[in-house]
Amino acid sequence: MSVAAPRPRVAALALAVGLVLADSSVVVLALPDIYRDLDTSIAGVTWVLISFNLVMALAAVPAALLARRVGPARAAAVGLAVFAGAGLACGLADELSTLILARCIQALGGALAVTAALELLPASVGSERRATAIWATAGATGAALGPAVGGILTELVSWQSIFLLQVPVALAAAVPILAVARHEAATGILQTELRRTGRPHVAANVALAMVSAAIAAALFLLVLLLIEGWRLTPIGAAIVVTVMPLAAILGSRLGPLVPSARARAAAGAILVSGGLGGLALLPHADVALTLPPQVLVGIGLSLVLSALTETALGGRAPQAIHGGWTISARHAGVVIGLLALTPIFTADIAQQRDDAINAGTAVILDSKVNPLLKIGLAQKIEDRLEGEKGKVSTLGPAFEPLPSDPADRAAVEGLRDELQEQLNRGATHAFSPSFGLAALLGLLALIPIGLSRRVDL
Amino acid sequence: MNAKLRGRLLVGAAVVASLALVGVYLAAGGSSYAPEKSQDPCKHRPWSNPEGLQEIANQFSISALDGAACQLGVTRETLARALATPEGRERFKERYGIDDAKLARAIRAGLLRAVSDAEEAGALSPLIAGPLRGTIEEIPLDRAIELVNDASSALGGFEGLLGPATNLLEEFLP
Repeated sequence: MSVAAPRPRVAALALAVGLVLADSSVVVLALPDIYRDLDTSIAGVTWVLISFNLVMALAAVPAALLARRVGPARAAAVGLAVFAGAGLACGLADELSTLILARCIQALGGALAVTAALELLPASVGSERRATAIWATAGATGAALGPAVGGILTELVSWQSIFLLQVPVALAAAVPILAVARHEAATGILQTELRRTGRPHVAANVALAMVSAAIAAALFLLVLLLIEGWRLTPIGAAIVVTVMPLAAILGSRLGPLVPSARARAAAGAILVSGGLGGLALLPHADVALTLPPQVLVGIGLSLVLSALTETALGGRAPQAIHGGWTISARHAGVVIGLLALTPIFTADIAQQRDDAINAGTAVILDSKVNPLLKIGLAQKIEDRLEGEKGKVSTLGPAFEPLPSDPADRAAVEGLRDELQEQLNRGATHAFSPSFGLAALLGLLALIPIGLSRRVDL
Repeated sequence: MNAKLRGRLLVGAAVVASLALVGVYLAAGGSSYAPEKSQDPCKHRPWSNPEGLQEIANQFSISALDGAACQLGVTRETLARALATPEGRERFKERYGIDDAKLARAIRAGLLRAVSDAEEAGALSPLIAGPLRGTIEEIPLDRAIELVNDASSALGGFEGLLGPATNLLEEFLP
């Protein structure tokens, strides 16, 4: 029986890991579209993201154990098939509950595929250390590229296309792995390789969870701010948030220069917090001002995630189980970050929107335009607020058509700009407390990093 | 350079970069970039040298909205949007549990405050203010809302409201 050659097999495994871990963030830029299409709330749509990460967090270690028991190749192939099937269901879902259920099933298949891949890679590349590096790089690349790919697909096709495209990619990755699974079933080689599971590295995994919570918040909140707050298109937001993975590449070059994993982890956590602090204190609604904080977060996440993953896996066997623990910690962190911060910023965004609309209305009331024009504007603003159930990020259409009289026209344009400025202020300010709390989470990760001498491996 | 020193340098650089970013954004006003807060409608809002009928009408409307909003415990902006359309008014009444009688009382109170403010600012003669107050006490809700929304046309054509004082209006407006 033929087994897939190592190179296609490694490529397939890396693709599988990248695809699954991209799925934890790929929908971030599609959330505003899903939010509108499925007519849900911000808290509701957040569960499209939370459900996947929650199931990944809960299922990663059991999936690793299962993969070792039934054979990792078989587990990876089945996991990818489940992932593909659930992806199809996600793409066809027309209700939020269906989408969330399908996302949970996707995460189950994904957890099986990712942990099994870590068990399969050493045999394909010849060393456990190299296998870990490929696995971690594929995961980080997937997670970093996810939002941009998701944003582009949402803009060019639809949010559904993100999931539908995953189906052929997952099946293509499963084909070479399936050949290994057949070989594995015929020879039963895995049963002899079961080893005792060592204790997970608690400090590194706790720190991973806390930093992941802060990073997830950074990505999720920034995307919502760009699209819902500042009205960028998904593709525009995708381009803006690409700064973070680009900075992460820069950060990955810094890593080898500093051998101390603890120093890299601490510096990374500080940079992530500093970047989030900058996002919490944006002095104006301007995309360019998000770039320096993103650079800090990007460099920081690259340093801290690689240092902590390296620490959690270093010298521990079996790799799949400890890899499962890191996956579990990271996704649990994402869930905690989203669950802790979503209620805060949804309450803030509602309050800030009301304040912004009131501030804009005050500008209209205090202006010297004709009272009849004021009533007309107030009527249109009220109608627009009612029509959009208060979910407005722009009130520009309420000012159309502009008056034909040049003086009135200029006055109305001035009022429109002032009202929009108030909305921008409201949207930006609404995210500040959440970014600030995420920054605090990143700083708190310094405690497990600092307390653990074993981080310096 | 030894490994320990490189580690310390990396951590130090991270601290400096983070503090620099936060410091620059704070200095640029990052802590105060928020919507302007609505003013308390119960607080007196002085009139600023009103000149001409339209400007007086504008300030009259604002004073009236402030007075009514103060009575109802809402912002004047919320009330202004609610009074702009009949549907908005119904939604507002439902949301805040207000009936027509309570709304009418609040708007009349607002209009009376506007008359006093106008009088205090020297924009309305006491000769007009007196009968105007009497009219406001009796004014139906719809007319009261019209007066709040568009005081200029009402002040410009007070036949129905002022009775014998009508012809004196333009004379007594500055």
